[in-house]
Amino acid sequence: MSAHYSNHDLQHLYEGDQSKLYSGALSHHSDINSKESKDQVKRIWKVTGILTVVTIVEVLLGLLGHGFQPFSVIIAIFLILTIFKAFYIVKVFMHLGDEKKNFVYFVLVPLLLFFWLIIAFLADGQHWLNMNFTFANTIKDIFS
Amino acid sequence: MATQTYDIEKLSKWGGGRSPFNVSYGKIMMWFFLLSDAFTFGAFLVSYGTTRFFSKVWPDPNHVFHTFPFFGERYLPLMFVSLMTFILILSSVTMVLAVHAGHHNNREGVIKWLLWTIIGGIAFLSCQAWEWTHLYHTGGWWGSFTDLNTPVESFTHLFNHNKDIVKQVFETNPKLAMDATHNFYNYFFSITGFHGAHVTSGVFLNIMILVNTINGTYEKRGHYEMVEKVGLYWHFVDLVWVFVFTCFYLL
Repeated sequence: MSAHYSNHDLQHLYEGDQSKLYSGALSHHSDINSKESKDQVKRIWKVTGILTVVTIVEVLLGLLGHGFQPFSVIIAIFLILTIFKAFYIVKVFMHLGDEKKNFVYFVLVPLLLFFWLIIAFLADGQHWLNMNFTFANTIKDIFS
Repeated sequence: MATQTYDIEKLSKWGGGRSPFNVSYGKIMMWFFLLSDAFTFGAFLVSYGTTRFFSKVWPDPNHVFHTFPFFGERYLPLMFVSLMTFILILSSVTMVLAVHAGHHNNREGVIKWLLWTIIGGIAFLSCQAWEWTHLYHTGGWWGSFTDLNTPVESFTHLFNHNKDIVKQVFETNPKLAMDATHNFYNYFFSITGFHGAHVTSGVFLNIMILVNTINGTYEKRGHYEMVEKVGLYWHFVDLVWVFVFTCFYLL
């Protein structure tokens, strides 16, 4: 006799607790004291170290880098370090690195909109500042 | 004759019956919520940036945030906020350890690390409460610095007078600096307040899943995915702080 296979078992999981189907994706069901588990914990503490060191560097740069010219270099370093920290938090702490590739794209691709958002709005702020200058100088010319 | 070939693997992947992402519905929805929340925070921060680009001068964070509890008016720039940042990073670490314990169905581990996470969250909120109170007593609040009769002395110390543009503005039109101070405080309290509200609800969610864990709800269910989902939210709150920290305290 062939082995019995019932679709109803699967159906039941879907209608009840669907998570049971996928919680296996990250769950190893192994002992917390296993080598695999300990390696993961080691990795978590390593990332903690990285985040702490980067934060200390940022603070030192914030304290000492103030007179540095051009200041845009400092700004660029701050932004790179921030993205660096964000990368580690999302990849290791939020386990996005362990998800399937297509899901990673699903989450990350919409974030590309930020390129437009930041460039468009900061340019707009800059533009208004310049326009105020121009306007103020024009008024001064007219009345002087 | 042309034969049509099907990629069986692909068909079965998207053919229903299972998640092509291998992620449960609840977790996908948590990710999508976080994505939308990222845009809310992003819009806040970009709006702050726009106003800053629009202003000739801007308060210097090293001068605004230079105090530490019990150290009076001693000049200790960035020290307190570094402590806050460190607390939040550590609470994120304890959260990921709780999630890790959950992966291995280790109930005691989940309880222990969730407790530490809750303590970290409350510590962060207490720090923020102190900082807000301190700034409030130095005159900063929503809608402050709008009165044209405000004496220049009440905001001149917030600016870095080594910069030529600052000197020039204070000599010719200090009202511009007052306006910038007003905008600075409005954005500061709105954005850190919105973030603090997220931390607060995160602490409540953590307490809820801690109670469930103690009651054995997840043990009976056979998995600790709820800890994972709340963990995603908690890490996101930490992630947002990384950007708030850069935008308000460093740049």
